[in-house]
Formats: sequence, structure tokens, C-alpha cells
Amino acid sequence: MVKEYKIEEMAEKIQLLKQTANELKRISGGIQTVDRNVDRILASIKMLEINISDVVGTL
Amino acid sequence: MKPVEQYWNPVLETLPREKLQRLQLKKFQNIFRWAYENSPFYHKLYSEAGLEPGDIKTFDDISKVPKMEKSMMKGVQGKDPYPYGDILSLPLEQVTEYRQTSGTTGQPIYQADSWQDWEGGVEAYCYALYAQGYRNSDRIFVPFGYNIFIAFWTYHYAGEKLGCEVIPGGVLNTEARILKMQELRATAMGATPTYVLGMAETARKMGIEPARDLYIKKITCAGEPGACIPATRKRMEDAWGAKVYDQAGSTEIGHWGWECQHQCGLHANEAFYLAEIEDIDTGEIITEPGRRGKMVITTFDRMAQPCIRFDSKDIIEWSPIDRCECGRTFRLLRGGVMGRADTITKVKGVLLAPASIEEVVRGIPELSDEYEVLVTKKGDLDNITLKVELTSGQERNVDAIKARLVDQLRVKTGLGYNLEFHDYGTLPRYDGKAKRFKDLRHKE
Repeated sequence: MVKEYKIEEMAEKIQLLKQTANELKRISGGIQTVDRNVDRILASIKMLEINISDVVGTL
Repeated sequence: MKPVEQYWNPVLETLPREKLQRLQLKKFQNIFRWAYENSPFYHKLYSEAGLEPGDIKTFDDISKVPKMEKSMMKGVQGKDPYPYGDILSLPLEQVTEYRQTSGTTGQPIYQADSWQDWEGGVEAYCYALYAQGYRNSDRIFVPFGYNIFIAFWTYHYAGEKLGCEVIPGGVLNTEARILKMQELRATAMGATPTYVLGMAETARKMGIEPARDLYIKKITCAGEPGACIPATRKRMEDAWGAKVYDQAGSTEIGHWGWECQHQCGLHANEAFYLAEIEDIDTGEIITEPGRRGKMVITTFDRMAQPCIRFDSKDIIEWSPIDRCECGRTFRLLRGGVMGRADTITKVKGVLLAPASIEEVVRGIPELSDEYEVLVTKKGDLDNITLKVELTSGQERNVDAIKARLVDQLRVKTGLGYNLEFHDYGTLPRYDGKAKRFKDLRHKE
């Protein structure tokens, strides 16, 4: 059943999202609304990692 | 039904067992390393045991890792970084959530969570609610006084995450909650089993029959064992005309177990937690079904205040059902949490689990939902008194009811009781966790 899903492809996109979020924080210039919203986005991205990315390597 | 419609995450929930174990080992290694490197408390605990992160190479190595338990927090918390002490594994500035345990078994434990940890707790609860049939068409009512305890906060947020409409019934009283549920036609709610039954009783006094006049179709119970006690579950389902599901969790651990719609035991969420069962006497890890022990549990992705091989003292056993009809590969626990190692006590030389008394009382329809158990000691002799209430109109049948009660208590618990029959409505009622079992021996 696991192979029905594009897990590795999803994991790559999740990694891209994370990179983009971190890059946004890096260039924020300390604007609090950017930093804090990125922190929340990163927490959501972590949920995607737990649910999808972490499985890669166990398949 | 297509898998994607049945599961919150079909990838993890149907992962073959050997792959699931591989994932668990990887995650255990990660959280062990994290705690070792970031928490002075864990670093000391593991160093004293002669363990370093690289030592956890196989699944069997996990059992070498020292357990931790609530009592170890006594000398740790209340110090810097205040108030969590050196168990904290993230800078204090990254802590966004505070909750604490009730302290019913000792000193309250402070629980720190980062926003990511909080998201993880909510995510784990989403698995439960989705498995129980919650969907974005549901209107959830939360009849609970939100406060410093974890109870039902994550139920609330998981409901939101699923896209449900969530109504916070926080400071309303029971009557107001019932009227609001009726007015808004709420379809689901979460509460302790005690309160689910108490609400039904209050509703009837208001002339409202929950199964007929309200719209609740799903109830998620937490905080007490009742939903997995067949007689208690039946009372709740009959009263509300709803399916009642059990959910297990705690402040320190998170929401580690839940029933699916097949109601054949708790699924341990093995993608988020490692649940081990330990023989109470020998400490041996139990892997086969049918043997009871206490749960030792690890939360994989909670970083601010890690929970690694936590001795929960919850009594559980693996189910003989190899695979639930739902198709999930997460193992099942028969009968949910059956009690706690620290509430299972010897009375008259016999091991007594309070839940077995509840099963008997709630299995006799002529008795109300309420009961109270008092254990006392006179000289060297233990005495156990069971107080029950007759439902209205049953006074003339008391002898027959008493005979059944004596008989079934003897069969289920192996003990004789002093029985007291009280008028309906005179025993204490509870809004949250009930305190029906009172062992007064150490106070005498």
C-alpha cells in the first residue's frame, strides 16, 4: 500500500518548503511578523516530515 | 472505502510491521541523542548508566535505557530554567505552551512544549478523531473547563485541524452546555466517562432525553478508563444514542492511543510513540498478547521536554487480535488502560483493580451510574465497603439486586463487600475525573 503514494517525491517537496521557509527567515531583517509566522510554518512542515519524510529510508 | 478516505495518514497507519519497527528504532535513536545532547537531566541519567547515543543499535538495546518516572522530577523542577529545571532541552524562549499534571499521585509536573511540540500533540490527536469518523461536517462541542491541565485542549485543536466546527463550552455550567448543544445541533463531543453519564442525568432532569433530543453521534472519552469497560460504554451509548470511543493520553506523554470505529481495543500510535509493556514483578518486556503489565512509553518527536521510557504505571495488555478490521498495522491493546499500577492494591490479600468493581456496578441496570468504594482497616483486618444507588422505583427489589451484586463482585474481584444502598442522587457527582475509590487504610 505504501508504494501507491509518491512518498519520495513528496519528501523532496517538503524539503524545498523547509528550505524556502528558512531562507525567508534569513532575509527577514528581523521583522517579527515574518519570523514568527515562519516559525509556525516550520512547525507545520515538521508535521509533514513526521508523516511523510521520516518514512523514507524505512521502505 | 478507499484507504485515503479511511485513514488520516495511510502511509504510517498501514506501514508493514517490520518497516514500522525500523522507523521506531530510527526515531528512538534520534530522541535519545537529542535528550543526551540537550538536557543535562537526561545526560546525567544516561551517563550514569554508561550509555551514549551510539549504543542504541538494535531494538533490543532500547530496554537498556533507564526508565524515568514522575517522582524523579521532585528534585529537578522548580529550578532554572525556571520552572522546568534541567530536563528542558530547548532554550526557554522557545517554550510556548505550559500545562501541568493534576498532582493526584504526588507533586504536579510542569510540562513545557514548543509550538512544534504542541503541533505534534494535535497531530497525534488528529489520528484518533479521524479514525473515529470525525470529518469536516462535524460540529464538535467541548464541555470542559479549559485550564492548566492538558485535558481536551488538543481535542479542540485537532477538531479544528480536521476542519470541524469547534464550540468551546468552557465556563458554561452543565445545563447551559446541554442547551447550547441542543441549540447548535452539535454532532460530537469529548468528555470523561463520568461527565458523559453525569450530563445525561442532568439532561433528563431538564426534560431532555439525549438520545432523542440531542444530535450527538460520536463521543470521545478520555481521562478515565470507562469507555473501554463494556458496561460503562453501553450505558453511555444507550443514553446518548451515540458511538463512544476511548482515547488514552497524558500530559507528559501526549495522545498515544485511541479506538477506531471497530471498537476492539486501543490502537497504540506506533508511528509517534514506542509503547512497551513491562512485567510488574520481573521488569521483563512483554511482547506476547494476554499478559498484563505496566506501560513504559517514549514520545518520539517532543523536543522541549522529552519523554523517554517513561514509566506511566498504566496497566495494559496486548490484544490477541493480530490485525484490526480497519487495516491499521498499529498494535491493539485489549480493554484499553485497565487501571494504574499505583491504584491496583491488595485488599484482604487479593489484588484489586477498581475498574472491575465498576464493570459489575454498571452492568446492573437497576443501579445508578454512581458508586463509591471505601477501603478501611480495623486492627489487622481490611474492610471494603461499596456504596451504590438504586434507580427510581427499585427499592422493593433491593434483596434480589443485592444477591446479584454479591455474586458478581465475588466472581469479578474475588472479594466480599459491605454493601450500602443509598437513595438515588445522594452519592457525589463529578464534572471531571471521579474519585470513587478511596483507600483510607494509611490514614487510620
